[in-house]
Amino acid sequence: MSGRLGIGLDVGSTTTKAVMVDSQGAILASHLVNTGPSGVKAAHTCLEELSRKVGEDTKGVPTISTGYGRSLIHFANESVTEITCHSIGVHRLNPMIRLLIDVGGQDSKAVRIGENGRPRDFALNDKCSAGTGRFLEVMARVLEISIDELGPFALKSNSPSTISSTCTVFAESEVIGRIGAGEDPNDIAAGAHAAMANKIGTLSRRVGVASPICVTGGVALNPAFRHYLSKQLHAELWMPDNPQLTGALGAALLSLECPVKS
Amino acid sequence: MSGERAYRALNTQSLLQQVILRYMLDGQAASKRGRLAWVTSGFPVEIPVAMGITASYPEQYGAVIGSEKVGPALCGFAEDLGYSEELCSYARSSIGSTSKPGESPMGGLPKPQALLACNNICGTVLRWYDAISQMTGAPVFLLDTPPVQGEQQPHHIAYVRRGIERLVTFLSSTFGVSLEEQRLREVATYATQAIDLWTKSLEACKNKPSPLNCADRFLAMAPIVSLRGTAPAVQFYQALYEEVRGRVSQGIGAIRDEKIRLLWDNIPPWFDIFKFFNGLAKRGVVFPADTYTHAWSGSIEGEDLFHNVAALYSNVYLNRGLQAKVDKIVELIKDYDLDGFVMFSVRSCKRYSVGQLVSKERVTEQTGVPGVVIEGDMVDSRLFNEAQIQTRIDALLEMFQ
Repeated sequence: MSGRLGIGLDVGSTTTKAVMVDSQGAILASHLVNTGPSGVKAAHTCLEELSRKVGEDTKGVPTISTGYGRSLIHFANESVTEITCHSIGVHRLNPMIRLLIDVGGQDSKAVRIGENGRPRDFALNDKCSAGTGRFLEVMARVLEISIDELGPFALKSNSPSTISSTCTVFAESEVIGRIGAGEDPNDIAAGAHAAMANKIGTLSRRVGVASPICVTGGVALNPAFRHYLSKQLHAELWMPDNPQLTGALGAALLSLECPVKS
Repeated sequence: MSGERAYRALNTQSLLQQVILRYMLDGQAASKRGRLAWVTSGFPVEIPVAMGITASYPEQYGAVIGSEKVGPALCGFAEDLGYSEELCSYARSSIGSTSKPGESPMGGLPKPQALLACNNICGTVLRWYDAISQMTGAPVFLLDTPPVQGEQQPHHIAYVRRGIERLVTFLSSTFGVSLEEQRLREVATYATQAIDLWTKSLEACKNKPSPLNCADRFLAMAPIVSLRGTAPAVQFYQALYEEVRGRVSQGIGAIRDEKIRLLWDNIPPWFDIFKFFNGLAKRGVVFPADTYTHAWSGSIEGEDLFHNVAALYSNVYLNRGLQAKVDKIVELIKDYDLDGFVMFSVRSCKRYSVGQLVSKERVTEQTGVPGVVIEGDMVDSRLFNEAQIQTRIDALLEMFQ
């Protein structure tokens, strides 16, 4: 293959994502694995897969790391925060987006994107895991269904339970209480999503809600989350085809600005 | 140049150590003589100083506890006594240290004979000093300074002035001392001279490169808090200003390669102060201004000293409304030509931290520069998540690229 290539590695708390782009920023290959106990190992697995899919050696290809484990990737040319990378990745896919809401495994962020694709303002969740993927994982476990089933399960409800949105641990106790009180599990699941949407709505309003709004991150794949967030923000949401890859895509696009290693 | 450190230490540092050592020794000697008061940082200390009472500052000692990285242990002693983890870590570490002085830096603050609290910085100080009173037997005096919204009213100043008069009565009866106006005027002159010199050093940071960084100011502010109204404080600030002026005239900055100029809002994380600010210095980030060290300003000199004390001390930064805070930050960003700002949301200090999310929006609206809120604490390092803070700071810095 000829021409300049670039790689973005997004080492998240739950999953590690890699994207390879050509000199025009078009995606050539991508891969996603669970991060597991070693972000570095997950990153190498991703690179091997990229190499296999494209038929090119990834050594020497400019690489930018991002995500929670970005500083672990010593072979990367640079590390850049997920805030900037998601912003650039989303801007590439839809330049109209001005508010990005990214909800990952252990953090959630609202980013105001400037016309140049760079963040203009941002807000992240505090130390609490309410409003992150972890919150929904805990709720799914209590309801004894898989995380993938949780969203469709919640959408069957017409009357969401009221769940506290302030703390994952207390919300878990609350859910157990609702189960004990005989409430419909669909309603409880819906209540958990509404609570989460409430939390994310507050975060978003801190940077200013401006349409069109994009949702990314693993939690964006959950249809109930999108439904309740859309209601919370009184706005339609736009989601890219692969909402988990936008951070890695942004990193890959930034890597095109790096000098090529000799 | 490449071998030079990113951060340039001040020569005045050694003088600062001498001055602070003397302050601590004076405190111990005064305690033995029965003439020591513990005083909150915003207390009108000119009055007790003029009456021959030496002051020790638990908040400053809290900074020492933080710097020595023993905050969690000393806060833990207070928690063992039943105090909530939500209580201010200056208060917790002070209560913990008073309960176990042998396990505290320098054996704890010397034992007080009186506790002087002014609620112009927060309401916690009264209950904190009540707790210390129970442990030491020293009586508490509260100077009540109701919050100021908008313009300060004459009846407000008159009310605080009556508190100052009661303070004189309290000190007279507690220590058997009296207040001479001439002596108060001398103390006021020392305080004004030190504050003038300090203010000049702060304002010199409008220069590019800035001659002082945040950590420099947070350390150099110690005498303006603890020795206000004394000759050694004036001597120290004279020396500091000479050094600052020298740096400015030679174009020497506090950091080697100044690229980004930011404002800092709130108390610093004392346990991480060098690592934090020097780490950013390596990336070309300097903090020419902050809201904390600018809080000690103004003079009580003039015809009616009590009136001036009441007017000045009840109108301090933390005793005013949110709009006043926003105005101050906006003014500093414009005057010091800053690129952005970092607001440290200190879990302990509700008075300082409440409203920062709203302030952040307003400051950005009015200045056009971005800011970030990071969360943690000044003493209790258990509340400081370095990885989360790093991501927020990194993202802010990326906005300047």
